[in-house]
Amino acid sequence: MGRSLSWVYVAALFAFVFAPILTSMVFSFNSDRFPTVPLGEFTTHWYETAFSRPEVWTAFRNSLVVAASAAALSTFIGFATAYTDFRFGFRFKSAYLALALLPPTIPLVIMGLAMLAWLSQLGLSGTIQGIIIAHTVMGAPFAMAICRLRLQQMDPSLEAAARNLGASPWRAMRTVVIPFCMPAIISAYCLTAAVSFDEFMVAWFVSGLHRTVPVIILEILQGNVDPQINAIGTVVFLTSMTLVIVSQLLILRKSAK
Amino acid sequence: MTAADPLVDFSGVKKNYGTFEAVKTLDLTIGRGEFVAIMGPSGCGKTTTLRMLAGLENPTAGTIRIDGQVMNDVPVHERDTPLVWQSLALFPFLNVVENVEFGLKMRGVEAKERRDRAMLWLDRMGLKGFETRPVDALSGGQRQRVALARSLVTEPQMLLLDEPLSALDAHLVIRMQGVLTKLQKELGITFVYVTHSQSEAFAMADRVVIMGQGEIAQIGTPQEIFRAPNNRFVAEFVGRNNILEGTVSGGIITIDGAEYPLPGAADGPAEIVVAADRMEIHATVSDAAAIPAEFVSEEFAGTGIICYFEGPDGEELKAQVNETQLAALAPEPGQTFWLSWLPDAAHVMAG
Repeated sequence: MGRSLSWVYVAALFAFVFAPILTSMVFSFNSDRFPTVPLGEFTTHWYETAFSRPEVWTAFRNSLVVAASAAALSTFIGFATAYTDFRFGFRFKSAYLALALLPPTIPLVIMGLAMLAWLSQLGLSGTIQGIIIAHTVMGAPFAMAICRLRLQQMDPSLEAAARNLGASPWRAMRTVVIPFCMPAIISAYCLTAAVSFDEFMVAWFVSGLHRTVPVIILEILQGNVDPQINAIGTVVFLTSMTLVIVSQLLILRKSAK
Repeated sequence: MTAADPLVDFSGVKKNYGTFEAVKTLDLTIGRGEFVAIMGPSGCGKTTTLRMLAGLENPTAGTIRIDGQVMNDVPVHERDTPLVWQSLALFPFLNVVENVEFGLKMRGVEAKERRDRAMLWLDRMGLKGFETRPVDALSGGQRQRVALARSLVTEPQMLLLDEPLSALDAHLVIRMQGVLTKLQKELGITFVYVTHSQSEAFAMADRVVIMGQGEIAQIGTPQEIFRAPNNRFVAEFVGRNNILEGTVSGGIITIDGAEYPLPGAADGPAEIVVAADRMEIHATVSDAAAIPAEFVSEEFAGTGIICYFEGPDGEELKAQVNETQLAALAPEPGQTFWLSWLPDAAHVMAG
């Protein structure tokens, strides 16, 4: 009895979380102009319309470039920060860690405004590089958290053992530390790519004419309510979910060992 | 202390961590082909000493020489001092043979040759057929042998071992001790073995270095350390020793008013050591001098049974007996016995 109740509870929880997304997916294939029940006929018309617009393609390309680059930078910075924490002891280490983990706690509106102000000082506002920088700042703490988790599972003697067997410091990093952390590094890459691909607020502030997918969704939405949004939304959701699931699988598989 | 053909020389070596003195003035020579065990309680500086030899720590002062060359500024990876780690530190993302090859790969040995040499060592360690297994699919003893093969494949002139057997089951420890001593004899290289276990140190080493609080307390053969500890620290650390205080006068030591012969000892206050296996237990008082002691408990310890007693001043006294003797004595806690020893069983400590 208690067992089946808890299953009902879990099912209800998932329904609550996923119902809006599922609804959006269902309506993306619905021929009616407005989301009403009963449903009309099945159609891929909204996908065709959405993806016949060149600015949607440009937005996807922008989002992919930004996500791929920001994820690479975030993962590099995140791994380096986590390794520094793992390997070295120094004064103010807790302050260092707090600072490294700070960005996700900043409200997005503030972050967006701050990024806009800062990037325009650098002459980078409204550029792809600007969005990449902003998303790197936002992704690095997540990458660090994931790499840190993996490093905590590493026997500290492992790196010393490589050095003891004749590896220079860089070679030990390349042949031992990075291979050991590889699942976490890939996982961090996927997760930060997903964070960037989804991110609207900061991108909206700094993107200017180089709109990313979430920004163009808002623009279409501001014009008129149109099931094209559902179509684009579904593609974005599937992309992000794939990245997050890959990331989670890699983390779980390695921690199980 | 010098060795006949020195390979390693510590001279005035100190290591401080902030204000903590991990190693205070270490002078030690280790000979070529010698099996030296460095033994002591945790925090005595034995592992720091080993790590300094491998270059994993830099000495605060003093010089370390290997083969006559000053090593202080030689980085870890340019030294030929492979270490067998307490945790083994096998690379989990490499299989058995890739682990063994690692050192050769770092030295730039080409693929075919390093595979052949690694296979040779796996064969020698009885691990033939395991080469493509992941290391975490091996048993503790097998992993141990992979770690040894990985360290020895580069044919070093010295092998460092940091409590390598501490994670193994008791029966495997004995077997690995055999493997290690045999290997050391066959290869003729120097083994520097750090441990807190006296049974390991005494079973394998040619010389034992006892360290306490960052200093060498005594260096000697296992027999010397066991029968003739220099000082109270060594006597207590080695265990199963009775330490007795008294005053010597004319070859007689007076302990708690009773007189015991102690030929050849200098007059004055002295501490003597009597090993538990040289202490005799008497159920009744006799003419010979003996210490009255209350039985506390017994402990089965491999080679015999250690009986624990409480002496007149509350000190702990130990005597080793076999099972027949124990059955004959049938001691009850609180029961009084008399403990004595033959004059030649007593060793006077220097300091």
